[in-house]
Amino acid sequence: MSLLRGLGPMTVANIKSFSRNREAMFWTLAFPVIFVVLFGAIFSGGGGGPSAIAWVDHDGTPGSAQLRAGFAQVPLFELRDADEATARRQMAEGEVEAVIVVPAGVGQGMRPGGGGPPATLSLYTDPSRPTTSQMLNQVVEQVVGAVNQRLSGVPPALTVEVRPLQTQSISNAAYFVPSILAMALMQLGLFAAIPLVAQREKLILKRLAATPLSRATLVTSNVLMRLLIAAVQTVLIVGVGAVLFGVAIVGNLLVVVGLIALGAVTFLAIGYLIASWSRNEEAATGVTSVVQFPMMFLSGIFFPIALMPEWLQPVAAFLPLTYLADALRQTMVGGAAYVPLHVGVLVLVGWLVASSLITARYFRWH
Amino acid sequence: MDVVPSPSQGAVIAVSDLRKSYGPLRAVDGVSFTVERGEIFGLLGPNGAGKTTTVEILEGLRRPDGGQASVLGIDVVRDPGTLKERIGVQLQTAALYPELTVRELITLFGSFYRRSLPASRLIEQLGLEERAGAVSRELSGGQRQRLTIALALVNDPELIFLDEPTTGLDPQGRRSLWERIEALRDDGRTVLLTTHYMEEAEHLCDRVAVMDHGRILEMGTVRELVGRHFSQRTVRFEARPQLTDTALAGLRGVSRVSHENGEVVLLTGDVPRTIGGLLELGDSLGVQGLDIAVRRPTLEDVFLQLTGRALRD
Repeated sequence: MSLLRGLGPMTVANIKSFSRNREAMFWTLAFPVIFVVLFGAIFSGGGGGPSAIAWVDHDGTPGSAQLRAGFAQVPLFELRDADEATARRQMAEGEVEAVIVVPAGVGQGMRPGGGGPPATLSLYTDPSRPTTSQMLNQVVEQVVGAVNQRLSGVPPALTVEVRPLQTQSISNAAYFVPSILAMALMQLGLFAAIPLVAQREKLILKRLAATPLSRATLVTSNVLMRLLIAAVQTVLIVGVGAVLFGVAIVGNLLVVVGLIALGAVTFLAIGYLIASWSRNEEAATGVTSVVQFPMMFLSGIFFPIALMPEWLQPVAAFLPLTYLADALRQTMVGGAAYVPLHVGVLVLVGWLVASSLITARYFRWH
Repeated sequence: MDVVPSPSQGAVIAVSDLRKSYGPLRAVDGVSFTVERGEIFGLLGPNGAGKTTTVEILEGLRRPDGGQASVLGIDVVRDPGTLKERIGVQLQTAALYPELTVRELITLFGSFYRRSLPASRLIEQLGLEERAGAVSRELSGGQRQRLTIALALVNDPELIFLDEPTTGLDPQGRRSLWERIEALRDDGRTVLLTTHYMEEAEHLCDRVAVMDHGRILEMGTVRELVGRHFSQRTVRFEARPQLTDTALAGLRGVSRVSHENGEVVLLTGDVPRTIGGLLELGDSLGVQGLDIAVRRPTLEDVFLQLTGRALRD
């Protein structure tokens, strides 16, 4: 009756059962990744990526080519060559955010000691998007200033070096990656209720009870299997976030891993609690949905809790997912704290202990 | 009717005055019996008779409210862990992990025991070679039953519990499973099975106990039970409206008139006179061509006699 006897084979059997169940694989692995990609793609526009700018060159001299090379060095810009009519159409259709027109004669004016009248670049921006327009104005002026300076041969008196500084306002993608990881861990745990109740209903648990396999071994093997899936989920979600949206983990990795494990086990305990309540598989499916939907939408997964209507905000304070998502955002990407980290951890441990105790008291094996 | 088991040294199972209630329902209400080494013992009764509860107490799955049960000399309440190492169990309608293969399931269950048989040997013994790599949800009913028996044998047990082993099988599958169960006994193992199929009990069981409402009504070999209740025979023929029960009950030798599947069943102590009277009665009423069969009573008849209801109700 030792804990270890049967633990390895039972865990492997759980993993095989899980990995051969395509539906379970989709919901726990593919679904959260799709969420990250979708939300990252929808909400990261205008935030991080370069702005597409149409480049219209009426001059066509080595001078104008030099000017183009100067603009091309700006990482915020992605230059697309076009004639003026095409460029205007592209801007009207939103394919580019601005148009720069180089008039004929610029190359002539730029020649050292050329002495001609100052050449004028035209920058077309969209006044209905003031932030982008302003940013483009400034960058274009800086580039032009730098070119002027080089032409005049006077060294700059003042330069600016750009340095990164982590602030509490993080990008949209950085908000979604830890949030969706938290959501995936929640679903991983809650959905454990359904196969567990099915195994009870189909007398699989009773059949196991008729062997010397101890209940502790059975539960441990389930926890190990879910932790392994949690690890796979983490690698997938964080990996997709890093590759597609450049979201990097800035916090202590050990703390992050510890939080992920705590979150997985806590929600697994809540899943077992649901299984204790549910008489059959249909009931378990129903209860799981009823529990998970408010959590998905009211725990600050898709938008910060501060943006929720005030009368809804107390609900968030009650939901364990709020604290897991908050803790993961704080540690993974340096997100703003809803509660201090240790408070979040305490709340999660509280849910874990309470759910486990109630489950131990009321769970029916057969 | 009180049934007092005779104490025996060879007893593999000894149960005395076992009781288990669920709320007001007395599922097991003072059951006593013994099972000897090397026999196939059948617990018979309709659904809800208390067979499954009795068996689950003996398997260490449920705690009785009262009475004693010793299996292989082990007290089932005090030491269920030791008990489970040494018995084999097949549960009624128990499913298996649907995504695991036959071989994986047998190996998995083997890992739960201190001592286990190699999976390949059990696969061969139960004729599952061609399905060894198939996941359990793809098995036919008969294959699944054989797999559950393979799992019950994985620890090479001396005693095997089979709960309704042939439920849901076609007649051919049932016969083939009977042969495998008989082979277990021929290996020197003891089998306790529950069933509500009379043919199964008559064919397989060395001894049976008839249960209803949580009590054992009768116990013995099938022949003993039938002999104890019926020195008589049954005369059967298809029902005809002219032949009323009242008229039939008046025939010589007839002690009971009953109906079964559109047939009239006369219980009689004097077959020739009953049949003679029946033919005369038929002639006088213009009934011709009666197809008459005479049979020894079956366990089904015993059960009807004991409980007043048919087993398959």
